[in-house]
Amino acid sequence: MYVYLYDSFLEQKKYKHIIKAIENRLTDYGISGKILRLNNFVDAKPVIEDEIKRGAKNIIIVGNDKTFGLVLSRGAGCDCVFGFLPIGVENNTVAPVLGIPVNEESVDTLAKRKKEKLDIGLVNNRFFVSQLHVMPSKVQVIYDRKFKVTANDKMEVVVCNFQPFYWKKDKKDKEIRVVHPQDGKLEAFLRPLTKSGWFGYKYEDPSIFPFEEMEIIGETAFLVETDGRQTKEINLKLKLAKSKIEMIVGKNRMF
Amino acid sequence: MIFQKSKRQDIEMQENYVEEVEQETQDNIDTVVGPSVNVEGDFSSEGNIIVKGTVNGSVHTSKILSVEAGAKIIANVRAGSGIIAGEVRGNMKIKDSLELASTARILGDIEVKVLSVEPGAVIFGKIVMPGIEGVEIKSGRRNRKSEEVIEQTGEEYLG
Repeated sequence: MYVYLYDSFLEQKKYKHIIKAIENRLTDYGISGKILRLNNFVDAKPVIEDEIKRGAKNIIIVGNDKTFGLVLSRGAGCDCVFGFLPIGVENNTVAPVLGIPVNEESVDTLAKRKKEKLDIGLVNNRFFVSQLHVMPSKVQVIYDRKFKVTANDKMEVVVCNFQPFYWKKDKKDKEIRVVHPQDGKLEAFLRPLTKSGWFGYKYEDPSIFPFEEMEIIGETAFLVETDGRQTKEINLKLKLAKSKIEMIVGKNRMF
Repeated sequence: MIFQKSKRQDIEMQENYVEEVEQETQDNIDTVVGPSVNVEGDFSSEGNIIVKGTVNGSVHTSKILSVEAGAKIIANVRAGSGIIAGEVRGNMKIKDSLELASTARILGDIEVKVLSVEPGAVIFGKIVMPGIEGVEIKSGRRNRKSEEVIEQTGEEYLG
């Protein structure tokens, strides 16, 4: 049995024809099922657990990167197969990593049911799926309890799992890094900032460290964005949870 | 018009993204220590390591270690092979080959199978190559013999 979790933004008029096409194709394949509509205040975990009790074996996320992060960060521990139907070209950077095309073509990938077990991150005993972003602040990072990384001034830390992180050295330059979800390690990007001029800061070249365990300790509380949600922390412990999610992926996946 | 532009940019971004993914998988670069970053402790990695900043403690990798010009390692190093253009203060144990660029400065002993040194590189330490251990013993014997001969001739000369 399939259960489809729709994001609230899909109620907009511009997505109506895409949703209609998707639902038609799902009916053609014979994999249509119950539809549940999420909003920002709904916790996905009890919703998924209720549906599993009622016999659901496949939970399909319908939306964009934000929906993907919101659902899986809470429901990753649930005993079911997850699927993803990305809607719209914008805000869908996770889908190409998983090899899933956007809009109605994603139904073909779902129908093929190619399952893979994927790794996810644990931050202070909570799951994070797409990306963790520590805004520039005075922090030190301890990797695998073995070595410590420090910078002379502020430092920005980005840990990527499914969502690639884009950055620029300067306005003209573009450099893109991609993380492979099944390589057995998470990847952390560290960008120290150095003072330039009176008030300005300049980004230095990034450092890249693959890791299984990491601790970020701040001199003062620092701002963290985890799967699109912002919190203030003073100590972060990150771990890798191996093969935690069973997910339907595409043939052209990047891992 | 604005929306058309953003779509084009998205397509370009996706194209670049696929190309760079392919490049990265080919390069297999794993760990990068950037400039103005200090690493302290037992720094080990299963993949390649590129050092552009400072490392204190010990460095260990089974693959390639490259130290760029201006970078500094104050540690004992163990690696599969190495390309050094910066400064290393500590003993180096390299399994395969070691390339020292003209800007390289090594203060410590080196144990390596194949060594190439560009003119201008500075080494202060002992270099050991496992391939010529047997020859060393033979040459040692010869030296002893030659020393005996010299001693004898000396005695004869003095006598």
